[in-house]
Amino acid sequence: MFTTCFVPHAVHPTPFDDYRPLAGAFDEMVQGNGEPRPHAGRAYSVFAQLTPEELMRCQQLAELSLFNQGVTFSVYSDSRGTEKIFPVCLVPRVIEGAEWNRVERGLMQRIAALNLFLDDIYGPQKILADNAVPADLILGAKTYVPRLRGIKAPGGVRIAIAGIDLIRDNAGTFRVLEDNVRTPSGVSYVLENRRVTKRVLPQAMDQSVRPVEQYPIELAATLRALSPVGPSETRAVLLTPGPFNSAYFEHTFLARHMGIELVEASDLFVEGEKVYVRTTHGPMRVHVIYRRIDDDYLDPSFFRPDSLLGVPDLMEAYAAGNVTLINAPGNGCADDKAVYPFVPDMIQYYLGEEPLLAQVDTYVCARDEDRAYVLEHLGELVVKAVDEAGGYGMLMGPQSTRAQREEFRTRILAEPRKYIAQHRIELSTCPTWDPAKQKLGPRRVDLRPFVLTRPDGSWVLPGGLTRVALVEGSYVVNSSQGGGSKDTWVRRAEPDAPASSKETPE
Amino acid sequence: MISRVADHCFWFGRYLDRAESTARLLQATRALVFDADIPVTQCWQPLVIVSGELPSFVKRYGMETAGDGEAVQRYMTWELENYVSIHSSVRAARDCARQIRDVISLECWEEINELFLWLELESTKQLYQRNREEFFRHVRRSTQLCLGIVRGTMLHEEPMRFLWLGTMIERVGQTARILDMHHHTMAIEAAHDVVQVAVWLSLLRACSGAEVFMKKNQGRVTAQSVAQFLLFEPAFPRSLRYCLRAARSILSEIWPNTAAPEPVAHPMRSSVVERRSPQRTEELCDWLDERAKTFATVNGIHELLTTVVDETGAICTQISAEVQGPTRTKATSPGQTQSQSQSST
Repeated sequence: MFTTCFVPHAVHPTPFDDYRPLAGAFDEMVQGNGEPRPHAGRAYSVFAQLTPEELMRCQQLAELSLFNQGVTFSVYSDSRGTEKIFPVCLVPRVIEGAEWNRVERGLMQRIAALNLFLDDIYGPQKILADNAVPADLILGAKTYVPRLRGIKAPGGVRIAIAGIDLIRDNAGTFRVLEDNVRTPSGVSYVLENRRVTKRVLPQAMDQSVRPVEQYPIELAATLRALSPVGPSETRAVLLTPGPFNSAYFEHTFLARHMGIELVEASDLFVEGEKVYVRTTHGPMRVHVIYRRIDDDYLDPSFFRPDSLLGVPDLMEAYAAGNVTLINAPGNGCADDKAVYPFVPDMIQYYLGEEPLLAQVDTYVCARDEDRAYVLEHLGELVVKAVDEAGGYGMLMGPQSTRAQREEFRTRILAEPRKYIAQHRIELSTCPTWDPAKQKLGPRRVDLRPFVLTRPDGSWVLPGGLTRVALVEGSYVVNSSQGGGSKDTWVRRAEPDAPASSKETPE
Repeated sequence: MISRVADHCFWFGRYLDRAESTARLLQATRALVFDADIPVTQCWQPLVIVSGELPSFVKRYGMETAGDGEAVQRYMTWELENYVSIHSSVRAARDCARQIRDVISLECWEEINELFLWLELESTKQLYQRNREEFFRHVRRSTQLCLGIVRGTMLHEEPMRFLWLGTMIERVGQTARILDMHHHTMAIEAAHDVVQVAVWLSLLRACSGAEVFMKKNQGRVTAQSVAQFLLFEPAFPRSLRYCLRAARSILSEIWPNTAAPEPVAHPMRSSVVERRSPQRTEELCDWLDERAKTFATVNGIHELLTTVVDETGAICTQISAEVQGPTRTKATSPGQTQSQSQSST
């Protein structure tokens, strides 16, 4: 039905002229023969009707709108506190409805297992007793906090907010690349990108695209559902490190859209195992803290006696069950890169189910056999340090120099626990505006869906944040290293579409 | 509301009004140079004096430069080391706004953010060179729009009250300074009546008060009538009396029955004052009402203004302490907010 919208030979130059998907990678919008994928046909035709000049103007309008509204992130390396926008490409990434439903079920399953794992590991540790995952690896992780063992999470859910990074391989299969169950960020860009698309290209949207704007309402409901007191008596706050944090815009965005107060650590204090916020009318109780600061800076008396940041004695109030921290402290051992290879085992162990989402085969350098393989194949593999994020501390084997490989060999042998390795996945691509060439080119993308979890179940934001490597040929999508983002359109599933309507891979 | 946020709201209001006021004062002084037959130096130097910046200005540029219109305008518009320049004020207002992004409305944030970005543009520097009037007009309109948006889009609750309180307190100081300029202009040399009228008109314009003054006085421009108007006119939103009364009524809304919480004993501030800010403001209003009854001559106006400015400054310090609220534990860090909110007094 969508092919009728598709204009094979437009009379004017279009941004898609000469567009060809990369060999060996799955393109989200265009098939090998240059025709749009059926589910993306409408979006394709909207952009095919624009001239490159018109698309460029739209891009400029979009960027101006983000800049004027202060939708920016702060650049740490710049001492002047410069703010930059997270560049957006207006050509959306479109996901077919039935495909998304499968992804959604897989995400819920994964979060359910990870939540059970955290409760177990900070409780009876049955999974270790049963040898379903290696105890030394889990308990030896820097991210495991032994002092939290025996403390029940108030509210009962440790991972209330998760951002799971997905990639799509050359067959078009979604795979989990990484779990983020501490303080995942980026959701504000999802909402802002949609707002900008509606403003700049109103003709592009229609009702077949599932909305995203309900996220803050769902999030607020999640915070209330996890409160130690009744929802109507609950005072929830969002705790930010302050305006110099790179994600500060997002903190203000979420606080504003939920109608809760944005606080800094110095606004809070603990007395008698209860948390209060300083107000112009004296102290007020706080029941739920959506904290966007790392464990290390939560409570100097618990985590880092040398730190001046944080709220002293916060962990006492937490242990007493008087305040819910979202997400729970100590979650780092569930999204540790060295623990990641065992998540399918956790799903088996806790739920008795087969994992619905594939992940990337991973070599754990702490294992002798894996290590030997990794050291022999450094030129083919992507090696990652388990405690680094943001695309740092990586060896991209196929693009590496001999010196870099030798350096990593030394490092791996010195601290095998610190490294994992994976075969490089050909990330899927999406047509993306290249301002220098004034046309669209295939650029690699990933996807971070957001999952909210309450005691009665999970809710998944339709789509999520599509990050794109704007540099031609690059695999790195991180905002700190030249990444941008795209609006992600999940199409409503046809009610009677068969669940196996998966597209033919190329 | 959260104490830190209240403090930022208060200062956001102050910086906004300060930027507008400085733009207007510069514009009015530019006009004065053409209208009044007095030496150019005599027009510009008082402006630096009343802004409280003479010592640092002289230190950087020398005393003789204080009469150089271009140098003074550049210093009062662009100089970031000058805390009261337009550029500093807008930047500080925008920094405050950024920290209370969840409290102010989107429209309000967009307006101040766009003004800030506009000031940083190269084309704006060119506009400043090419069409100075248009430059000042843009600053004034944008800051006024921002204050209007505040009242039109924010909940009329505590955050807006603190914001407006800051605006009113700032305005007391600004109007007092503008009035005081007359004192300094005339102190340099006794002037002719025509010059006097030109100076007074210029001061009225600097307060957006020329037209409304005429409505009240039917064209009778005397030292006495202008001073009376800027000091005591209860209906003029920039007179000292109006602004202080407004501040008093906002304070009584924030802390009804003057039940302001005990000020925190602050290590940085030695004097803990016993009276609360609503009370103190009330007393200052009463004092000003008494002066209005007996006001007969502009002689002694400098002393009156000094009293008002000093007491307003003290009230402001008091509000800062009261905003912190009563605290039951040892840990406070009010020092942080202090450094971000610099007073010009």
